[in-house]
Amino acid sequence: MSARRRDANPRPRGLGTMVGVVWRTRYRSILVWVIALGTSMVGTAVAVAGLYDTPTKIHTYAQAVTSGRALEAINGHVEGIDSLGGVIQDEFGFLAAFLLPLLGIALVAGSTRREEESGRLETVLGGRIARHEPVLAALAVACVAILATSVLFAVGLVLAGVAVSGAILYSVALGALAFAFAGLAGLLAQLVLHARGVYTWSLITLAVAYLLRGVGDTTNTPVTWLSPLGWAEKTAPFGDQRWWVLAIPAVAGLVTGGAAVWLAARRDVGSALLRGGAGPVRATRFRRRPIGFAAWLHRPATGGWLGGGILLTAMLGSLARQFLGAMAGNPALARAMGVEDGRPLDGFVAATQLYLAIIAAGYVIQAVGTLRTEEAEGRLETRLGGTLSRVRWLAAHTAVVATGLVLIVAGSSLVLALSTAWSVGDTAEFGAAVTAGLAYLPAELVLAGLALGLFGWWPRGFGFAWAGYAVATFIALLGPGLKLAQWVLDLAPTTAIGNPPLGAVDVGNLAALAVVAAALVLLGFVAFRRRDIPRA
Amino acid sequence: MSQPVIHTRKLTKTFGKVCALDSLDLTVQPGEVYGFLGPNGAGKSTTIRILLGLIRATGGRVELFGADPWRKAGSLHGRLAYVPGDVALWPGLTGGQCLDVLGATHGGVDQKRRSDLIERFALDPAKRIRDYSKGNRQKVALVAALAAQADLLILDEPTSGLDPLMEQAFQQCVRERRQDGVTVLLSSHILAEVEALADRVSIIRRGRTVATGSLADLRRHTRTSVHAVTDREPENLDGAQGVAEWVSAPMDGRVDTTFTVDADHLDAMIGRLHAARIHTLTVTPPSLDALFLQAYGEALDARESDATLAEAGR
Repeated sequence: MSARRRDANPRPRGLGTMVGVVWRTRYRSILVWVIALGTSMVGTAVAVAGLYDTPTKIHTYAQAVTSGRALEAINGHVEGIDSLGGVIQDEFGFLAAFLLPLLGIALVAGSTRREEESGRLETVLGGRIARHEPVLAALAVACVAILATSVLFAVGLVLAGVAVSGAILYSVALGALAFAFAGLAGLLAQLVLHARGVYTWSLITLAVAYLLRGVGDTTNTPVTWLSPLGWAEKTAPFGDQRWWVLAIPAVAGLVTGGAAVWLAARRDVGSALLRGGAGPVRATRFRRRPIGFAAWLHRPATGGWLGGGILLTAMLGSLARQFLGAMAGNPALARAMGVEDGRPLDGFVAATQLYLAIIAAGYVIQAVGTLRTEEAEGRLETRLGGTLSRVRWLAAHTAVVATGLVLIVAGSSLVLALSTAWSVGDTAEFGAAVTAGLAYLPAELVLAGLALGLFGWWPRGFGFAWAGYAVATFIALLGPGLKLAQWVLDLAPTTAIGNPPLGAVDVGNLAALAVVAAALVLLGFVAFRRRDIPRA
Repeated sequence: MSQPVIHTRKLTKTFGKVCALDSLDLTVQPGEVYGFLGPNGAGKSTTIRILLGLIRATGGRVELFGADPWRKAGSLHGRLAYVPGDVALWPGLTGGQCLDVLGATHGGVDQKRRSDLIERFALDPAKRIRDYSKGNRQKVALVAALAAQADLLILDEPTSGLDPLMEQAFQQCVRERRQDGVTVLLSSHILAEVEALADRVSIIRRGRTVATGSLADLRRHTRTSVHAVTDREPENLDGAQGVAEWVSAPMDGRVDTTFTVDADHLDAMIGRLHAARIHTLTVTPPSLDALFLQAYGEALDARESDATLAEAGR
């Protein structure tokens, strides 16, 4: 940067200023993203390098993974999987497919449409900033963040012992994936009116991309090339190394990002191409009632988590036969899934149900968190300004959230039972798959109770509900594999369920969990009835 | 019997070490529009939240329709409607849906008045709240409260974000509600609005009442400015009791005099001016503005404010 000058005809240096604004207002989340992504990637690489430290082990892994199409649908088709880099690409495949696009989307959406929606953009444009510069600056900062992430990846991979050229190509391919989605988010930010819309449409695009990539990989057709996720995969960093494929996401990102800048310079500030239309003039009788209103408020989240649960169980269930085949051919994989006593199907269902329990618990905490948001944004005050009493309000929401939980668990379990039966060709496991899901309800309710108790008793500490969820998830998923002490395992309420249908369910434990959950809910209600609203 | 609608006595609220209300007294009689004035952070919204039973008083007495608002919040709210200071609504609902959801928690909704108000405030009920401007969101909350069949309206800075035309419509609506016998507690720092609507006012600062009474009462405690041109020099005026800011000078063969005088001595002063043969006379009554600034400004010197204004309030 040169020294400050005041020329007679000053060339507006709006872009530099704007980049500074974006950086100063967003550097925290940018750093969190880059560091979290970088460390998780490098951590995965190092862990994989430690686990598969001989060519034989890598070869066994490659054999297991390629023994069916099941894992390819989830993690993608990895060319050159018979190498350390290939194993890392496969292990990271699922996470990378979501996290890198999200990196691009979050960085751009947060500093474009969100700022415009809040009116802050107007303040900025009141200064010496041209209309197209904010989105350009947002894209520039996002590019730098993506580049930094890629560099971290590459360094981590090389340190883990991956060949340098493959490490670089893989990291750049992932960066290009993030870049393509950053451009898309920038374009969407010009088209829709609210930041929420940018997220919704980018995530829908991502879901379609994941689906296309999965279909292409399992059917071995060029469909894969239609998906940005497929472009990253087709660079084949640990196989044929097709560098030219990088041009596709680069062009996609440049075209969408360029269109965003072009549109931003030409459209009215605050306008949008796609606007929400008019809605109903009156509220239905049901929505006016506390329970109906609560149902409306929780419907999007319930639908989202239910969709996630069904997607997971349908996908895993329909691949059940392939999993069984893979486990039969590879005792190591079976052991990793906790199946040692010759009941692989039960082991498969049990592992899936644990994932589902984590999804369901995430739903209840988010749903109770919605109540905290209602309070923090002042809407709870509006709501309680009338004849509706606190207890009725909270009871209505509790009932709706509990119903949503049962819906998510029962619905997804049913889908798991159906898809598994379809895949393996018999219904012997049908009942067990459904009841295993329902057996997890008391554990999920304990976390709901924790969230509700915090909301009533110490609303500002609601973050601890998420912390508790993170700890419980970590213990439930990784605890047994890491051979943690029993008392640590017992900290996760899911441990007390007994891993059905592989293990036996202890009815006494379920009752005890239910009592704990009820006590926590009661604490939440009593405290909520007595406290100030809004609680400062 | 004339039981006050709102009655607080030595109302106190502390948040940790911060004292938001420091023995606040407030009495609102049925059927009156009561102005509740004070600078930002004076404790207006805290008082209102206690009246609604949303937060609990640390000390003192508070009664709404003769009952404890903390214990009887649900049933008491059937008789009132409330517009919060920061209107927060659900972005995903349309304006019309919001009105219905809010109306469902009121004692009752006058459907005819509802549609009438939507028209008067030029509100589009099919639009979603997230697409409304700030002023339009405010209008939704106002229409919901004004359409409610309530005995009491609690309005916390209700016109922030409204344009002057809508402000007029709002004032007209409040007057109509008062004619129907509705009591109104109007918290505001827009003096013109309070002056136009309120029968009685309280001015609070740092959680204490610094002045209270009817507007006429309050005016009596401020000074009237007098500008007179007389044929002769008025006698015994300069330095007389109750007179201040005396300036007198000869002008075109007459005497031009300006001074301020307190209400109790106005009559005697006019008599003396009359004795000096009045040529022209302008008497400017104290505006609420002056009172307000006096209450705030002088209050910076807490000792003086507590001594004179609280006294004046009694």
